[in-house]
Amino acid sequence: MIAVLKRLASIRLTLLWMALLAIGAALNYDNPVDTPVWVLVAPLALLGINLLAAIITNARINRRGGLLIFHVALLMIVILAAIGRLTHMEAHIEMVDGMGFTPERLINVRQGPLHSGKLDQVHFIQGPYTIEYRPGMMRGLTHSQVLVPDGAGGWERKVVGDDRPLILEGYRFYTTFNKGFAAVLTWMPDGGEAQTGTIHMPSYPLFEFRQANRWTPVEGGEQIKFWLQLETGIDPEGYWVLDARKSQASLVLRTGGQRVELQPGETVRLERGVLRYDGLSSWMGYKLYYDPTLQWLFLTAMLSVLGLAIHFWKKFANHPWPQPTSNRKDAGHASSDTRTAVIDKGRMV
Amino acid sequence: MEDKMVAELPWLYTAMAAYALATFAAMMGVVRARGGSAGAAVNRNYESLVLGLISAGVLLLVIALAERWIRIGHGPFVNLFELLMSQLFSLGLVYAVIYWRLPVIRPTAVVVMPMMWVMGIWVLTLEPVASVYPPTYHNKWLWAHVGFGKFFLAFLLVGSGIAGIILLRGMSRLRPLFRYMPPDSVLDQVAWRFMLLALIFDSLMLIAGAVWAQDAWGRYWAWDALETSSFLNWLMLGAAIHARLTYRIPLRVGAVAMIAIFVFAFFTYFGTPFYSEAAHKGVI
Ligand code: HEM
Repeated sequence: MIAVLKRLASIRLTLLWMALLAIGAALNYDNPVDTPVWVLVAPLALLGINLLAAIITNARINRRGGLLIFHVALLMIVILAAIGRLTHMEAHIEMVDGMGFTPERLINVRQGPLHSGKLDQVHFIQGPYTIEYRPGMMRGLTHSQVLVPDGAGGWERKVVGDDRPLILEGYRFYTTFNKGFAAVLTWMPDGGEAQTGTIHMPSYPLFEFRQANRWTPVEGGEQIKFWLQLETGIDPEGYWVLDARKSQASLVLRTGGQRVELQPGETVRLERGVLRYDGLSSWMGYKLYYDPTLQWLFLTAMLSVLGLAIHFWKKFANHPWPQPTSNRKDAGHASSDTRTAVIDKGRMV
Repeated sequence: MEDKMVAELPWLYTAMAAYALATFAAMMGVVRARGGSAGAAVNRNYESLVLGLISAGVLLLVIALAERWIRIGHGPFVNLFELLMSQLFSLGLVYAVIYWRLPVIRPTAVVVMPMMWVMGIWVLTLEPVASVYPPTYHNKWLWAHVGFGKFFLAFLLVGSGIAGIILLRGMSRLRPLFRYMPPDSVLDQVAWRFMLLALIFDSLMLIAGAVWAQDAWGRYWAWDALETSSFLNWLMLGAAIHARLTYRIPLRVGAVAMIAIFVFAFFTYFGTPFYSEAAHKGVI
C-alpha cells in the first residue's frame, strides 16, 4: 500500500499533472462555460491524488510544518472549489422599482446539481436608483436603493451598487450595466378585472434610440407596440445623472393601424379594453451569485500563504544571506568560500 | 490627446534620466571593479552612486505620480502609461532597498536596470492621456491586489537579475567582470530564495484579486485573459520550484527558467490587460 502511495506521490507526476493543468487552464481561457469541465477536473483530480499521496508518504512535506500547511491548504482549495461548483447558483433578474423579489423571475439560471440554498427566504423590494455619467458617457457609480427586512417586521433601506452587492441568505445581488426604463400600465379588460404591470424597455442608454417593446393582452386581440419618448437630460459631453424620478416620458402606442401618444395618467380605448399609462418607472438588472464556499476558500487560501511564509522563514532563518567577502581571494571560488559553506550545508532548497 | 506638457512629464523625464545614469554608473562599477581595491563585489564609490541615483529616480517618480494623481483625480491603476510609471517606481524602490541591504547582489544592477529600461522607454513613447476610473475600482482590495503584485514583480526582477549574472558569467569575456561575486551555486540559491518570496506574493496577489473580482464582477474567477495568464504564471513558478527539487537542473537552465518566469509575468502585467478588452471588465 505504502509502495503504491509512494509511486503516486512522485514529484515527476506533479510536474506532469501541472503541465496538464496548464493546458486545461489555457483551454478555459475566455470561454469557461463552453469548455468541457474535465479539462480542469481531470488534472486537478490527478494533482489531488498526487498531493494526498505525497502528504501521507513524503517526510519532506509532512515533517515540515509550514510546507505541510501549505500543501494541505492547496488540497483543501481544490476540494472547496469543487464543492463550490456543485452547489453554486448564478442567474440574472430585472427588478422594477417597487417590485419585491421572487425566484420565479430569475432568468439565465445556472446552478450546480447540489445547490440547496434558502432562496425562498430572500426578500427585498427594489427602489429607485441613480447612475453617474462622466463626459463621454463613461459610467460612474451606481446607487441602487433597496428595502430589506429589518428583522422586526419592518423594512430597512440599503444602498447597493457596483462592488457593494446586496447579500441575503448568502445570495449576492450585483447591480449590472444592464438597466433601463419601464412603462407602468393598467389594463382594464372589458368585463374583467383591472391589472397593473410594467413593460420593460431595452437597456438605457445603450439602446437610447430603441426604447420600444410589444405586448399582447391575454384576452387576445391585436399586438400592441410601445415606444417610449424619453426626456432624461442625457448629456454625452458632460456630467449627467441617470435618474428615472427626474425623467419624463410619453408613451406612443401602435396597434391595428392606430397611433396614440399618451401622457402619464391618460387612457386609450383598445379592441378589448382600456389601457392606462400610469407613468415612468425604472428597472435594474442584477446578477445573482451564490457560492457557500467563498469565506472558506478565502480563509484556506490565506492559510496556505501563511504556511508558505512559515516555511520560508524556517528554511532561511538559520541560513544567513551571503555577504561580500572582505578577502578578495575567497570570492568567486565555490569550494574555498567560507560564506558559501554556510549556505551550501545540505541542499539549500 | 493632450497637446500640452502635462504636470507629471518633467518629473518622469528626470526620473528616467536618473535611472539611465544609474545604469551607466552600475556598468562603470563592474568594469572598474576589476581593479578595485577593497575586495568588495564592486567598486564602493560606484555603489553609493548607483544607490543614490536609483533612489533619486524613485523620489522623482513619486512626485510624477503625485502630480498625475492630482491632475486626473485618481491613482495609477488604469491605463498602460500610469501602470508602467507606477511599476517603475515600485520596482525601483524595492530594488533599491535590496541593493542597500544585500550588497552581494549589487552588480545585478547591470542586468536589472536595463530591464527597467524596457519599461522606461515604453512609457516615454506613450501619451499621458488621463484615464477614466471605473466604478468597480473604488474598492480597498484593489490596493492589496496591486500592492502584493508590486512585490511579486520586484522579487522576480531581483531573481532574474541574479539569473542574468549567472548567464553573463557563462561568457568567458564577461566572466572577469563579476569575479568578486559569490560563485554561481550561491547566486543560484539566493535567486531561488527570491523566487520563493515571489511565489508568496504572487499567491497573495491572486487571493486579493479574487476577492476584488468577487466584489466587482460577482465572480472570483472566470478565466479571463488576465486571470488565465496570471494563473499560468503562478503554476509555472510552482513547477519550476518543484523541478529544481526533483532534478539536477544545470544552473544556467535554472537561470533561463527564472528569466522566462519574469518575462511571462511582464507580459501578464503589461500585455494581457491591453490585448483583451475582456480583462478587468470594469474598465468598460
Ligand atoms: C499537487 C501536487 C504537489 C505535490 C505532490 C507536491 C510535493 C512537494 C514536495 C514533496 C515538496 C518538498 C520537496 C523537497 O523539499 O524536496 C514540495 C515543496 C514545495 N512545493 Fe509542492 N507539491 C505539489 C503542489 C504544489 C503546488 C501547486 C505548489 C505551488 C505552486 C507547490 C509549491 C511548493 C513549494 C513552494 C515548495 C517548497 C520549495 C522550497 O522549499 O524551495 N507545490 N512540494
